[in-house]
Amino acid sequence: MTHAPTGSHAHTGYHRYHIPTKPAPDIEKWPSRFKVKVRRSGLAKLLLSEVFHYRGRKDVILSRPCMYGVFSGPVGGFMPREEHCVGCLRCTTEFPEFVRIEHNPERQKLGDSYFTFNYVDQIAYESSSGLVPVRGAGYRGKFGGEGWDGMWTDMSEIVRPTRDGIHGRETISTVVDIGYTPNFLQFDAAGQPVGNTPQTLSIQLPILFDGGDLPRGGQAAAIYARAAAELDTLAVLTFEQAIGLGQYARAVVPVLRPQDAARLGQLGFVPRVVEMHGWDDALHAAITAAFPEAIIALRTGFEDTPALVAYAQRGVKVFHLLADFHGRSPEGGFVLDLIRDAHKAFVDAGIREEVTLLGSGGMIAAEHMPKAMICGLDAVAVDTPLLVALQARFGGECASRTASEFVLPARLSEAWGVQRLKNLAASWRDQLLEILGAMGLREVRRLRGEMGRAMFMKTLEADAFAGLLGYTEAN
Amino acid sequence: MASIANKTDEQLIVEKHITNLHNGFAHWPRAEEAPPALGDSRWTQDLILATWLMAETGQVPDNGLEYKIGASGGGFDVLDFNIPSQDKWLPADTEIDLSIPLNRRDDGAQLKIDLPMYGGGMSYGSISEHVMQARARAAQQLGTFTSTGEGGYPPSLVPYKDHIITQVATGMFGVREETIQYAPIVEFKYAQGAKPGLGGHLLGDKATDVVAAMRESVPWVSLFSPFPFHSVYSVEDHRKHVDWIRTTNPRALVSVKVSTPTDVDMVAVGSYFAGAHIVHLDGSYGGTGAAPEIAKKNIAMPIEFAIPKVHKYLVSENVREEVTLMASGGVRTAYDVAKAIALGADGCVMGTAELIAIGCTRCSNCERGRGCPFGLTTTDPLLQQLMPADWGQQRIVNMYTAYATQLRDLLRKLGLRSIRELRGRRDLLRYVG
Repeated sequence: MTHAPTGSHAHTGYHRYHIPTKPAPDIEKWPSRFKVKVRRSGLAKLLLSEVFHYRGRKDVILSRPCMYGVFSGPVGGFMPREEHCVGCLRCTTEFPEFVRIEHNPERQKLGDSYFTFNYVDQIAYESSSGLVPVRGAGYRGKFGGEGWDGMWTDMSEIVRPTRDGIHGRETISTVVDIGYTPNFLQFDAAGQPVGNTPQTLSIQLPILFDGGDLPRGGQAAAIYARAAAELDTLAVLTFEQAIGLGQYARAVVPVLRPQDAARLGQLGFVPRVVEMHGWDDALHAAITAAFPEAIIALRTGFEDTPALVAYAQRGVKVFHLLADFHGRSPEGGFVLDLIRDAHKAFVDAGIREEVTLLGSGGMIAAEHMPKAMICGLDAVAVDTPLLVALQARFGGECASRTASEFVLPARLSEAWGVQRLKNLAASWRDQLLEILGAMGLREVRRLRGEMGRAMFMKTLEADAFAGLLGYTEAN
Repeated sequence: MASIANKTDEQLIVEKHITNLHNGFAHWPRAEEAPPALGDSRWTQDLILATWLMAETGQVPDNGLEYKIGASGGGFDVLDFNIPSQDKWLPADTEIDLSIPLNRRDDGAQLKIDLPMYGGGMSYGSISEHVMQARARAAQQLGTFTSTGEGGYPPSLVPYKDHIITQVATGMFGVREETIQYAPIVEFKYAQGAKPGLGGHLLGDKATDVVAAMRESVPWVSLFSPFPFHSVYSVEDHRKHVDWIRTTNPRALVSVKVSTPTDVDMVAVGSYFAGAHIVHLDGSYGGTGAAPEIAKKNIAMPIEFAIPKVHKYLVSENVREEVTLMASGGVRTAYDVAKAIALGADGCVMGTAELIAIGCTRCSNCERGRGCPFGLTTTDPLLQQLMPADWGQQRIVNMYTAYATQLRDLLRKLGLRSIRELRGRRDLLRYVG
């Protein structure tokens, strides 16, 4: 069975890319967001007084402040249904003496110190609904901070080529190219291209699925592969995970290690892209021999930028750069800065246009994707958010790419998992369109390296507050 | 008991909940412990409860609630004033002037407001008609303005038209000849801080029959206003907009509401040269209406950074004295207002603070189902009765009265007799981050 790209209409030759979403509710019951505590004696007293006061007017007596069904069970407020609570606080405002709403500490334990429960909540909403999270009452978080939180994207007041963003008719392209493009083309006397020619493939959104460091794939690998195939993107999987997924050959990117050189035939299909886990001459030769048309990417760390440029000059044209799951390099650098450094190294070498930079690690929210691209990535290979979308629980701190433990639900079904990942991709893509629309960009490829359309807290704060008593650049 | 017998169930239900709510708004600011799930980094428990207390009493809180700053860790929350020693303070009986002019040009009405604040646009549909009435009446009582937002101009607001700004936004909902002619000020909303670069959102559940009728749209269908104006690609196009308004209402002042992109300074100067009397900067952390979460946090710069950038540029262009610069988007307290002015604004535009004064807990469920459970951001016929307009009016007036007390006290300690003297006085600020 083959899986056509989402939204494809082969009979017309044209399709406008669209990700079909549908609700995919949680299969694992997670702790409610709020704890609802009702002092039953207080409630009983209230009921008695209201029975007397309202002379048995049942609808008046039973009218409770909650609109969300917390107190609408068979025994009302005596057994509140916490899972319905949205934290509006109307009940505790009306009855401060005996109703108390608290954040549920069990919910706040979801995730870890980097992938905090707020991010988990967001991913859960996105993957269950496929929608862009929309809420009222403004921004609620910290002013800024380190890393992603200290960066804002630009917008255009009036002059922009796109109009209505995700709600309008004009297309904003999210297609990205992966592979090699020469800085310029050369032609012979007959007008035929000579020398290096482009070797790229296009995917419909700048989101890849990265399962390349998950030792126990099982059903998750098949979910990644099928979802990637249906989305017309790529799923990076270990060699063992990739074996047997030939039906998704267009989408599967096997990660190969030196020991795999002799058994490439076991893969059972010809991949369009492969990743080498670190450089190895023999492995490279074996891949070239077995899959001569495949694009070969180097999967490695961000930190050694001179080495990256050297690899590019030796012929590697696609780099999948890795930080740990908390976005850190072994030396402690943060992924936002690591991306900028890598991008700049290729720009300085004059070969940025020739290479593709993919990145993973620490990019766990929709907004991190455009920010990472502004810093220099061509596309983001998403890792831990996929696991959260599949309702995986974190086994403690999960920073390490090799030693972290994620526990997937026992009842994981492929159809449900695929829909969750498609919903997540749809939500993130729509949020990307919001950013692109606000910036006035018609295609995501123009976002790459657009540092002039980003604002950083340190710079803005220095511009605004320099000269104030107590302010130093060190702040 | 006779009165209960004569009332409908609905009347009794509304009365019961109003009584309970008002008791709660009075209880919590005085309680030993705040509701544990109340508040966030920007609007802390203390800020919300202090605002409730000010809205109830009209007095500055004196029970230990922090009413000046939040806990966001940046912006206004890391700024404070350099208060000189007490011997330099003005005498306690010094008259302090809080008024600011809204028109610094030679043309148009010479409007001024008695406080350096007016109410920001919140559209009919996103908030209830009761809330709009409360805000309009409060603006009249305080000698300032409020804005219609982009959802139209309900007839019940006409008696207060001298204190109402008509907003012309990209959806053009409710923009009619008469609503332009009512207005002492017409505000073009090019962008808004809650969702910079995006148009207004009114989700389908809130587009009731009456809301849809006001907006000349289809009931229960979500309304996503376009972005930006389809008729404006340049400052010159904007000038045509201004001319259109002046043809319809030659007396009206023109306000241009923009968000805060990297080139916000150029946008402000362009707006001035196109004829704006008021440039209204709406920073990225503000907003009361529905907005994609990604837009709230990540698009455009916070107002604290935009104000000095624009102020300095207007000064360098020698036009600063000819334009009024209003700031909004995360201005929560009287002290935020003062800091914004010290950074270079003339005054501030307030939104969320007014909603909190009338009972908002910032639960962010404005768009869910029937709308706000407190009857504020809803058009549900039953829910909106929970916030009677006269009660809301008094709460808003009280809050601003307490703000005025704080501003006068601050100015007196800074040795200033007018809020206008504070503008651009960065030397009076200190960084405490």
